Amino acid sequence: MPKPEEYSEKKTELAGWPVNIVTYRLGTVYHTTIDNTDPGAWVVKAQGATKQEAESKALKDAQALMEKVKKSKPPTGCTSVPGF
Amino acid sequence: MAVQASPAAAQQTVLVSTDWVSQHLNDPSIRIVEVDVDTKAYGESHVPSALGWAWDTQLCDTVRRDIIPQAKFEQLLGQSGIDNSTTVVLYGDNNNWFAAWAFWQLKVYGHKDVRLMNGGRKKWIAEGRELTTDAPQVSSKSYKAQSPDNSIRAFLPEVMKASSEKSAALVDVRSPQEYSGEILAPPGLPETCQRGGHIPGAKSMPWGKACNEDGTFKNTDELKALYGGIGVTADKPAIAYCRIGERSSHTWFVLKHLLGYKNVKNYDGSWTEWGNLVAAPVEKP
Repeated sequence: MPKPEEYSEKKTELAGWPVNIVTYRLGTVYHTTIDNTDPGAWVVKAQGATKQEAESKALKDAQALMEKVKKSKPPTGCTSVPGF
Repeated sequence: MAVQASPAAAQQTVLVSTDWVSQHLNDPSIRIVEVDVDTKAYGESHVPSALGWAWDTQLCDTVRRDIIPQAKFEQLLGQSGIDNSTTVVLYGDNNNWFAAWAFWQLKVYGHKDVRLMNGGRKKWIAEGRELTTDAPQVSSKSYKAQSPDNSIRAFLPEVMKASSEKSAALVDVRSPQEYSGEILAPPGLPETCQRGGHIPGAKSMPWGKACNEDGTFKNTDELKALYGGIGVTADKPAIAYCRIGERSSHTWFVLKHLLGYKNVKNYDGSWTEWGNLVAAPVEKP
């Protein structure tokens, strides 16, 4: 059975959001996963014949996804409904 | 009155290491199951002899919003070669988010011996352990679930009461930006609520604070200090929530099973319920 090799993990920022990039090789294929660090949910995966190819593909897709994250206006205070 | 197990003893019965799993891959009394956020991950590679469950089709009611119905739960476990005496070892991606969700549901239905593989899929891969794409051959067994144990599950009325009467500590385990209302969902994930912010009175403690860099859980002293810092202690009821209930399963697991706190519930309705309610109070710092 194959074993994952060349495991690497690094942090960077995409569209202002911190992300975590994990890459490993399984057989002849490199697998990259990018998660959003906090809370740490997987957002993009890619494969490639080289580490660079897998990471480039994943970074491109992750960048596009992270740019779509909507931010609300800065919080202005507390709202509450009496009796709820 | 039952004597509460010490946190260390509790950990031994619900947490197993990657080493332990590698030594029990072919143990017939154990069934290893992978449950991921990314439901395609199992098909790409998994721990040898592990089965895969999809959280979005197999661990929920696919008609109404709810956990898996009892009859379907019995069917799923039986078809997975699990009977009531089987030790079920769960693991998954994202530091066991949905593995913890599955763990919580197995406990809702009264399964006795369920454990998490400490560090999850990430640690197994980082350690360079064997992977396969082969699904194991499984012989079906008969499984009988117990009636749902709602002492570990919080529904909306109880959460409202906890918020308004401070009858339980509310723990918001989402990211700080979700807690503050800056974003409605984690970056890169779909938005599923109408308003941002948090339940009035809830304290922020992102789920990942309970983990080390390698995905394993912090030790009990660290965990006690962490949650004690926001007023969550053994003598008080606590309710954890997130967006859809899986991250809060992770925190529920920590409080209930690693720290041994007696009265801890998972509010699986979470922010996608509260943040969509008409006229519900919302707090923004």
